[in-house]
Amino acid sequence: MSEVVKLQLIGLSVIGSGVLILLFIRSQFLRVIGFVAIVLGLFSLVALAVPQMASLPPAEESIDIASIKTPADMAAIGQKVFFSKGQCALCHSIGPSESARCPDLKGIGAKLSREFIFESLTQPQAYIYLDYRHEGIPKEYPARMPYINKDPIGLSKNEILSIIAFLQQMSGEPISVNPSELEMPGKAPSAPVKAAEAAPVAVAQAH
Amino acid sequence: MMQRPGIIQRLVRFLAESPAAVAAFVATLGALVAPAVGLAADTGFTSAVAYRDVPVVGSRNLVWVIAQLHLLLAGFVLGVPIFAWLCEVVGWKTGEKRYDKLAKEFTKLLSSAYSTTALFGGILLFILIGAYPKLMAYLSDIFFPSFMVYCALFLLETATLYMYWYGWDAMSEGGSKVFHLFLGFMLNFFAFFIMIIPNSWATFQASPVVIAEGSDLARAWAATWNPTWWPVNIHRLIANVVLGGYICGAYAGIRYLSARTPEEREHYDWMGYVGNFIGVFGLLPLPFAGYWLMREIYQYNQQMGITLMGGFLSWLFILQAMLIGVLFLGSNYYFWMGIAHRIPGSEAQYKKPILTMLVILLLCLGVWMTPHSLVASLAEAQKMGGTHHPLLGVFGVMSAKMTVSNLMVLVTFMSFLMYWQAGKQATVGWARVAKAIMNALLVIAGLAVIALGVYGYFVPAIIRINYFSTSQVGIVLFVLVTFTLLTSAILKSAKTTTEMVWGRMPPRAGYALVLNAVMVILLMTLMGYARSSSRVHWHVYGVMRDSSQYAFSPALGYAAVLMAANTFMFCMIVAFIFWVATMGDKAKPAHGGKEKSGDGHGALPAMAGGSQTLDKQI
Repeated sequence: MSEVVKLQLIGLSVIGSGVLILLFIRSQFLRVIGFVAIVLGLFSLVALAVPQMASLPPAEESIDIASIKTPADMAAIGQKVFFSKGQCALCHSIGPSESARCPDLKGIGAKLSREFIFESLTQPQAYIYLDYRHEGIPKEYPARMPYINKDPIGLSKNEILSIIAFLQQMSGEPISVNPSELEMPGKAPSAPVKAAEAAPVAVAQAH
Repeated sequence: MMQRPGIIQRLVRFLAESPAAVAAFVATLGALVAPAVGLAADTGFTSAVAYRDVPVVGSRNLVWVIAQLHLLLAGFVLGVPIFAWLCEVVGWKTGEKRYDKLAKEFTKLLSSAYSTTALFGGILLFILIGAYPKLMAYLSDIFFPSFMVYCALFLLETATLYMYWYGWDAMSEGGSKVFHLFLGFMLNFFAFFIMIIPNSWATFQASPVVIAEGSDLARAWAATWNPTWWPVNIHRLIANVVLGGYICGAYAGIRYLSARTPEEREHYDWMGYVGNFIGVFGLLPLPFAGYWLMREIYQYNQQMGITLMGGFLSWLFILQAMLIGVLFLGSNYYFWMGIAHRIPGSEAQYKKPILTMLVILLLCLGVWMTPHSLVASLAEAQKMGGTHHPLLGVFGVMSAKMTVSNLMVLVTFMSFLMYWQAGKQATVGWARVAKAIMNALLVIAGLAVIALGVYGYFVPAIIRINYFSTSQVGIVLFVLVTFTLLTSAILKSAKTTTEMVWGRMPPRAGYALVLNAVMVILLMTLMGYARSSSRVHWHVYGVMRDSSQYAFSPALGYAAVLMAANTFMFCMIVAFIFWVATMGDKAKPAHGGKEKSGDGHGALPAMAGGSQTLDKQI
């Protein structure tokens, strides 16, 4: 017997109990309870009569660094992080969007160097990119760019590099990050990431 | 012979009449627990356990039931003060003591209802911390400052409730009455903030904004001011008024059914009328608030909007249409019965308009309940020429649904106006002109709403949503406000031709009032499920994924059975609260020895006076 049939039987028995109360009980309060039982039973039966669709979560994916062989693999991982853990799509769009509260990132990988993107993610208040101008009426709920490598988002270096790969690929640029830069779990971090050592880039201006 | 109440009864009475003790306990609990949760991150401690399960029922179902009951009770304790305060103001302005007595007796309910709500809140907090420690640590880290404000508000609300309730008789005249009204206002003022603070936590889960670094207060404020916060605040505020009104109506309905004397029948008939009136008063703007919320959800995240309206939750909105339709029909039916039974001789006069309104309502309901696309077999789809029915399919889209919901609001408002004007004759000279203008306005408004709905099929969705739907709402609101002002001006000096006779309603009127209350409660449970399920497999949408075994959203049938169970439990809790609150009223006359003890059934609790005879004694 399927779950739906079981629930339908429960609904029917609730309605039956309500009908019996209305037929044989004289206490007004109990009669009202019987009436409520009939209404609730009918509601359940109607809800059980419509198509039953549950919403199942997609399988959780973890980054298996060993399986990353090419920069394109990194970009694929970066795309997933962009739309999930990284929360980038909460504010940024890729292409023009009415609802986006922050700069459109379409083509951003071609406009900015990887060093600048890295710095924007990890030190967002250090520089304001000159090319970002929002025209028209101010957007509602403007958001300040958070430190992406700190809580609550807290992306790892591997994840940030993957996002940079995704942004470059999405902009039609050659991917300049390499799987060899990824930190293997359990190993001591290699030399600081190239981007972190870079001096402020020319397109930025102190704010 | 009256027996002394037993230990259980005395304990129940003590708890019911000591909301401050319970509220203070919960507030203290919150103050103690919240930092512990919030500081977990600071100390570097991270819970090894993200989830804990509860045997047999499952942690998700347990949270579902407790949270739903807490929310419904909260709606009740926030709706009843609004209802009571409005009644007190009416009583003060008109000098009719029965309104004041009604307000007082419903405020008496607050003491027991308030403590029950706080207890469920405490239980919910414990279960959440135990079952979802990681999520609670995350939310505490963001919202800790608002937890503190929430606790402080609880204490203020409790102190105000004490003064409002215990000071009722002491502050019943002159300037002190005005102060008492001010206390009632403050009670609602604090209650409003008690409502909107938890709303910020729940709406942040559905529509989070990115939290940048800053002070704790700045981060909490940024998270609080999220896109769906105010739409939910307004929607819940209005819905609480509706809930309070219809529960008052249901209580009156039950008491009316079991009334033994003409006085009781008169009184509870009148109380049912007041409850239904306030319920309808809130119900009319509610669809507009719901529309605003839905619009904000679409603007925030189109995917979430699609999940709600076009995805796996789309059938839920057909159920919602059914419940709202029954609620509109039930409310109108009660008005129509009132015209037929309380105003002698008016049945024949209003028969045709009532029939017309019934037909319009049923047609509108039919359109509203038409699904957008049908689940059909291949053969059926081939016969129809697609998944959309060739004729009915056009009614399943939002343009049609928005149109009929506006028309249903208009019709219900007309029912109310008809009831308001029945048995009265205008005496002002300009009444005829005003009525002609109102009739013309009504026809124009109805046609404009339909025209915008039809035109809505031929424009892009964004134009329809931003301009056409809002124009429809604007037109209906204009009619509501204009007609109310004109009618009240006309009736101010009107002559009463037929006195309203209370206590003549048939028993089905009592059941209609109960049905309306059940529909409102079911609607709240249904839309709670919708709001929660729209986050799909996220605790915090797009930010913190639900990786528990309960990350899936159950199918509608399973959810509906839980909603029905929650509704039933809530009704029983409310019945218990009413029983506890009126327990002392039964005992007082017996101790005083001035009232007849009757046969047991006759000694009904004197809720809101119980009869006009009792009302006159005050």
